[in-house]
Amino acid sequence: MTYLEAILKVLVVGLILGAGLPAIFAVGLVAFSKGAGGAEADGTVTAPNPALKAVGLLLFAVVTAVVVIAILYITKGTIQHHFGFNPVPFIPK
Amino acid sequence: MSGELIILVLLIVTALAFDFTNGFHDTGNAMATSIATGALKPKTAVILAGLLNLVGAFLSVEVAITVTTSVLKIQDGKTGSLISGIDASTGLTIIFSGLIGGILWNLLTWLFGIPSSSSHALFGGLIGAGLAALGSSGVNWSGVLGKVIIPALAAPFIAGLVAACGTWMVYRITRNVMKKRREEGFRWGQIATASLVALSHGTNDAQKTMGVIALALITTGHLTGNVKQNGLPFWIIASCALAIGLGTYIGGWRVIRTLGKGLVEIESPQGLAAEASSAAIILSSSAAGMALSTTHVATGSILGSGVGKPGAQVRWAVAGRMAAAWLITLPCAGLVGALSYWLSDGVEALTGSALAGDGVIFVILVALSGYMYWRAQKQKVDSKNVNADWDDSTNSVVPADVREAAQDPSKPTASV
Repeated sequence: MTYLEAILKVLVVGLILGAGLPAIFAVGLVAFSKGAGGAEADGTVTAPNPALKAVGLLLFAVVTAVVVIAILYITKGTIQHHFGFNPVPFIPK
Repeated sequence: MSGELIILVLLIVTALAFDFTNGFHDTGNAMATSIATGALKPKTAVILAGLLNLVGAFLSVEVAITVTTSVLKIQDGKTGSLISGIDASTGLTIIFSGLIGGILWNLLTWLFGIPSSSSHALFGGLIGAGLAALGSSGVNWSGVLGKVIIPALAAPFIAGLVAACGTWMVYRITRNVMKKRREEGFRWGQIATASLVALSHGTNDAQKTMGVIALALITTGHLTGNVKQNGLPFWIIASCALAIGLGTYIGGWRVIRTLGKGLVEIESPQGLAAEASSAAIILSSSAAGMALSTTHVATGSILGSGVGKPGAQVRWAVAGRMAAAWLITLPCAGLVGALSYWLSDGVEALTGSALAGDGVIFVILVALSGYMYWRAQKQKVDSKNVNADWDDSTNSVVPADVREAAQDPSKPTASV
């Protein structure tokens, strides 16, 4: 059972981070692209929308932040060993 | 220098050589999709991957701990000392033979351009040598099953599923985005995720070699058994990081070609989804100390990205050949490991010198590696022809024109 549990855990983490983050990135790309405006393939021109563009950038930032925190979490042991502090104190052990 | 110390040095050199083959065998896991879609130039991609592997190797030691404790039962789990019945010399020969099994299997699969698992090659070699030396009591079967075999079977499916979901969502969400911007955006996303995979490869795979070197040092008594508490000596981490970084930079172009061109014809959004899936799974299992095969994950992800994209086609013949190679990797590397051990043991019995035994298998390793390198050079795949069209009739990793030129030396090579 413990094996199955470990596998399910990796699957869930994989789906959240491995498929969820690309999806957020894609939504960010949609917002950013709509916000930037310009000519579509069919010739219609949309006006730039700074708010939408900002939403896109914000979503990109969210994705980046999650990635950085995840890496710090993995490095936690090593950082603690060599430098003596916990880089991600807000994540429960 | 005593004989044991010479063997130890030879072993560390061999371990670093394995780390090097591990690097170049797996460059493709991170960079194949970026190279295939043109997001990165081949040379840029391998430099980036090499640097990130170097950095990644410093991040964690969880997997190294798994390697020292979960594969072979050389060490007593509680005290960290050698278990009774083996002396340091036998222990070293076991590890040495295991490494030889790993390297030779890695080089052979590289020659055929098959992205097989370097981790399985290593563990297979170690298990084979352990079996040959100590019988089935020398292997930590529950550790092998839980931390190596089961993750190996599950990993490609998990990765494929995650990548297929990711690919499907990404295509669905961005279907109305302007083509030019979509491509540009995903190219950047792809480079970022590929970098993450390279980083995670460094953390996961470099540690396997660190674990092996640590195991050897524990065997000779240079290192106490408790890696978890005391950490690893810095020189082990640094040298392994360098070896895997260099190996990655050299680039296993044959494997890159198979992964990027052979399995599915990949577009940037698929590349992004595949790499994101790989990075998430490799990193989360590194944190859990699971010695997962990065190759199985990456291949599963790339296949998944082909399944998840409407209308994409997967070359199942190539995938099938790979799956076959995966199944036989553990036993084959194990066989080579066992043969190496028997040979070394036999020579030792004849000459009475452990150094002679280990020296003989070292020389054989160098000779066979040289031969395979020479074979590969005759039908070369490199940064220039890595993206040449895939030959559907043969499914060979060697591009058609190189193959013809090699078969008919009178004809000048078309490339260069």
